[in-house]
Amino acid sequence: MKEKIRQHFNEIFADAPRTRKALDLKQEMMQSAIDKYDDMVADGYSEEDAYQSVIASIGDVTELFPEVEEKNLFMLSEKDRKKKAMLTAVSAGLYIFAGAVFIFFGMISEIAHVPYELTGLGLVCALVICIPPTVMLVYAANMYPNYSKKEEQDMVERLKEIKYSSNKEKAARKTINSLIWTVALVLYFLISFETFDWHITWIIFLIAACVQQIVKLIFELKTEEKHL
Amino acid sequence: MSITSDIIRGHTEAIILSSLLEQDSYGYQINKDIMKKTNNAYELKEATLYSAFRRLEQAGCIRTYWGDETVGARRRYYAITEDGRKAYQGYKQEWQEAKEIIDKLLK
Repeated sequence: MKEKIRQHFNEIFADAPRTRKALDLKQEMMQSAIDKYDDMVADGYSEEDAYQSVIASIGDVTELFPEVEEKNLFMLSEKDRKKKAMLTAVSAGLYIFAGAVFIFFGMISEIAHVPYELTGLGLVCALVICIPPTVMLVYAANMYPNYSKKEEQDMVERLKEIKYSSNKEKAARKTINSLIWTVALVLYFLISFETFDWHITWIIFLIAACVQQIVKLIFELKTEEKHL
Repeated sequence: MSITSDIIRGHTEAIILSSLLEQDSYGYQINKDIMKKTNNAYELKEATLYSAFRRLEQAGCIRTYWGDETVGARRRYYAITEDGRKAYQGYKQEWQEAKEIIDKLLK
């Protein structure tokens, strides 16, 4: 039964901030609940009744963490929310445009009976058009709310803050990664259709992986510099 | 009952301070004292109690320290500060005044 009480606390504290303070508070309340449970059982209540009564007397724990609500629910500022919506809308538009371009090229090569294949070119164009919306979507998906530094002072919190303050960096990094891979894909098709050296062009992906690692390294060096 | 507890909940801080005036104590003990004094008529929800602790601590009305239990879990004790005593006197006076007025109006 005590295990059930602990379990219950784990559940209701699942959304609590991951801070030392919150953890202490959880332990304290859990201990208090178990004390009460022990007392009730000692007073002759059945284990089940004692458990129910203990759980009922916990109350609403969300009032313990007023700052949680600010951080949850994608709590970006109004400005960021608008920006995010805008990015998504524009991306969707560009994707549709890319599809239209592809179909357009396909139709031209069918109708105009051009001597050379235009569908490949159409595909490449469509992929190129797809780059910006992909980049925008990845960036938008990585817009995190800033970590609120209210009332957290100790070392752990400072470290956390550093971690969260690099959210922007993280978003930028993901954006660059997606850019690298999209460019690699486009180059792959472009060069392959141009040269028909399909047996060798896949190396582009290896190069892309290399570039990605280099970018990662640069970012890490930069971050280290900043925090030292 | 719900209205009663709503009215009482507004005085949670004062109730805690009053309990701490007698002696330093920990969460469950304070709640037990409250139940005892009210003949089990009133019990604070844990969340209410601990969020009040938090507000009181932020306001400098109480301070906390770890107990030195040799058996069982270590407890966090709460003690009233000088600011807390002043705040309590203020609360109490406010309540006396409010009580008099309500008593006069609800006859």
